Amino acid sequence: MLLAYVSVAVLTVLVIYVASRREDVRHGEVLSGGWRELRPLLVRLPVALLAAGFLAALIPERWMLMLLGDASGIVGILLASLLGAVLPGGPIVTFPLAMALASAGVGTPQLVALLTAWSVLALHRVMAFEIPMIGWAFVWRRLAVSLVLAPLAGLLAAWFLSVGR
Amino acid sequence: MMRREVHDMVKLMNQPRRTIPLIDGMTILFVIVAVVSGIALWVLHGPDRFASAVGDAGLLLLLVLPIVVMAVLMGAYVQRLVTPALARRWVGTESGFRGLLLATVAGTLTPGGPFAAFPLVVGLYHAGASLAVCVTYVTAWGVLGLQRVFVWEIAFFGVEFVLLRLLVSLPLPFIAGYLTLLLFRRRDRR
Repeated sequence: MLLAYVSVAVLTVLVIYVASRREDVRHGEVLSGGWRELRPLLVRLPVALLAAGFLAALIPERWMLMLLGDASGIVGILLASLLGAVLPGGPIVTFPLAMALASAGVGTPQLVALLTAWSVLALHRVMAFEIPMIGWAFVWRRLAVSLVLAPLAGLLAAWFLSVGR
Repeated sequence: MMRREVHDMVKLMNQPRRTIPLIDGMTILFVIVAVVSGIALWVLHGPDRFASAVGDAGLLLLLVLPIVVMAVLMGAYVQRLVTPALARRWVGTESGFRGLLLATVAGTLTPGGPFAAFPLVVGLYHAGASLAVCVTYVTAWGVLGLQRVFVWEIAFFGVEFVLLRLLVSLPLPFIAGYLTLLLFRRRDRR
């Protein structure tokens, strides 16, 4: 956790330093843009964390371990990929939920598969943004080639972890 | 027709960023989920379990919030420094390995949500980028996108997990790109 704080802080300072050397960057404008993005998060984050915590406490740990735990193997990776594809909403919803699942015993490769499926398939995002903005002709081809990516990421993660041990 | 579409998309990209409503449908849905699941937890497992879940959520919020605030600030600066026009200049019309590599780098660095990335894809496609390059770009933005990593993933899962996930995700944009070349070569330019 400390490493997370330090790495984000260092990069933030670095980016601000780079920006401050450019004369065309107005800091007030950037800050007000950042505040516009942060404001809704301050409402959504607590709500999402609470909902994810309650849901995770309701799901019996035994089921979670059986379906998505480390021992669930390839079946668990496939299930996690499916779950990731249908998780609704953006990062503010997904990350608290995924973290609640992780603390309830979801295995690391399964978690990698879940997050990858959510990143490339996210059906909610496809319907809300991608189809209206880019069109179905592009979207179905992209989805077709992306189906294998999440299980593959999960299997690769399992392999890396077994090699590292 | 095509020229007009490109023009529209360029206009869309240059628009000031969409203001995000403070409370949207998703927020309301999650309030409902939180209330219903909170009541269910209280009834099924008792007030102690409920209180500890609330406490955990509060603690998590305190841990995560400083990172989210810093990362949003960083994201605001990155969005000012890396404009869509700049990202589009990096991605060419090549669709060989070099083309896919450039698309992967551009996707990784593109800040912002779908509202920033998808218009860029439309612009790229109409500017002559191949389907494979566009698919590679979207995949890289999804699985490697650094802004999401820094704003969210590190805060929730820590550096070690994030590094593992990024490592196994490195080949994914290329796999998606080459699969596109393999499966849709003929219809590539429609």
